[in-house]
Amino acid sequence: MFKATIEKNLKHFQLTVNLEVAAEILVLFGPSGAGKTQTLNAITGLTRPDRGEVLLNERLLFRRKVPGKAVDTPVRHRRIGFVFQDYALFPHLSALDNVAYPLRPSHSTDSKSQALAWLKRMHMVHLATHYPGELSGGQQQRVAIARALAARPELLLLDEPFSALDSAVKESIRNDLKQLQRELGLIVLYVTHSLEDALDTGDRIAVMQDGRIEQIGNVEEVLNRPANSQTARILGIRNLFRARVIKSTPEALFLDWKGLTLKAPPRSAEAGARVTAYIRPEEVKILYPDRAVGGAVRHNRVTAFVVNRAPTAGGYRLRLRLDTTARQEIEIRFSSKSYSTLDSSPGTKIQLSLRQAGIVIL
Amino acid sequence: MNWHPFLLSVQVGLTATALNLVVGLALALLLARRQFPGRTLLETVILLPLVLPPSVMGYYLLLVLGRSNPVISWLDLRILFTWPAAAIASAVVGLPLMVQTSRAAIAGVDPTIENAARTLGSSELEILWRITLPLAGRGILAGLILALARALGEFGATLMIAGNIPGRTQTLPLAIYDAVQNRQYVQANRMVLIMTVFSLVSLWLVRRVESSYGRTTKKSRTQIWKASGE
Repeated sequence: MFKATIEKNLKHFQLTVNLEVAAEILVLFGPSGAGKTQTLNAITGLTRPDRGEVLLNERLLFRRKVPGKAVDTPVRHRRIGFVFQDYALFPHLSALDNVAYPLRPSHSTDSKSQALAWLKRMHMVHLATHYPGELSGGQQQRVAIARALAARPELLLLDEPFSALDSAVKESIRNDLKQLQRELGLIVLYVTHSLEDALDTGDRIAVMQDGRIEQIGNVEEVLNRPANSQTARILGIRNLFRARVIKSTPEALFLDWKGLTLKAPPRSAEAGARVTAYIRPEEVKILYPDRAVGGAVRHNRVTAFVVNRAPTAGGYRLRLRLDTTARQEIEIRFSSKSYSTLDSSPGTKIQLSLRQAGIVIL
Repeated sequence: MNWHPFLLSVQVGLTATALNLVVGLALALLLARRQFPGRTLLETVILLPLVLPPSVMGYYLLLVLGRSNPVISWLDLRILFTWPAAAIASAVVGLPLMVQTSRAAIAGVDPTIENAARTLGSSELEILWRITLPLAGRGILAGLILALARALGEFGATLMIAGNIPGRTQTLPLAIYDAVQNRQYVQANRMVLIMTVFSLVSLWLVRRVESSYGRTTKKSRTQIWKASGE
């Protein structure tokens, strides 16, 4: 178990972080400049927090200005592995010697065979004699992870490890990392500003903004129930809107979104209260003129016009203007495979259903 | 030909280089990696020998190394007008070249790489030995060669604090001066040739040491290109 309470005054904001990580992958997610890297540096001891406590598997690594004896364990004794954003391999050592570096004595046959075993785990044995300058980004990343693990850390930190890699390489390294985490029972803290990375890698996610953790929880839970509109915005959630509660019944909560009446999942709320809600683009269904309207899309029907269209993998992202007096705009996804004959060019009029179950109230 | 001035020059030059390796490297590390009050002042003082007239440098060294310095007189040292005095003068004039060149090389080592070594369990001394010095090695070597070349050519300050005693403190540049004064042009020509060849070789070596880094990166780029073509 890893526990950290850290406070540090930085140039533009105050870092206030409270984390508890078990043998799992916790993703620290947030926009650039949210204080993610600063958090990692403070945990590792590369920078010194103004106040706080860091505990790793019952070992007190740091304590300052909180009750108890002050402690500041040197970086080299913390047993925290750090995979840096630009890999930070030693350019004058081969891949093998990089991995053997933390082993003592690093030139013994035993150390070399251990290093080779770590390279094997990261599928890099065939490039063991290559120097970092001769390796691609993905290969360097694999060596960097092998090197960090060779030091037998109790906590592994990764700072934007995949930001410069293409998606196929990313995917394969990610799977290796997840497997190693499970096998070794590692505590992993993983920093990223990419939501896709966060969703695919993490068991739990901590959403960070302006030096604070806004919300922490299971990936699904955070994504489906952002604690506030701030978190929703950081998570890149579309179609966020403010609405007024009309009435609350056992089967639905009726909302008024600038004149458009919507049926949301039931929830107790006072009539007249203002709420923030959103509907994911995937939850907006297009009603095809020649198909029967099914049960799930009976409610929240509205006419809209296509404003613009942008291609995505396997379809389009459409920006629509609702045919209401307020002329609200929403974003939806349209898979070209599901109904290729539907015209979705700008100006086209289409029928929509905002699925009741898809409306999330914060 | 009298080889004594040549051999003495080699002895003085190597001693000066050894002094520069210790003192110059320590100063380079200090300037490259530490922030402290008076840093700019220290830097400026180290650079002074580049611009001060040799006679001024010689005068300062007379004050520091002479018996008027209480430390020297308490230790009962007699440095002036011996070959170690020539070595010290040569080291001081070579110091700015050594410090500037190796400081730039050390500052060029990515601090993130040193941080990586820290997280891998290395002490500061181990990082210096296994990471920083090997990575800055070429620059440090270039600085040493430049300082050695400058030390071997030292004339003015050496004349003031070590004198020009044939067979004891007369280095090659001083011997050339004497030979010309005494119209021994054959002697002078030989020694001038030795000095010129040595200086040319030194500069060529420095260029080679500094550019070989560029050649390895070019080589690795070709390898990446080859690998991606497969």
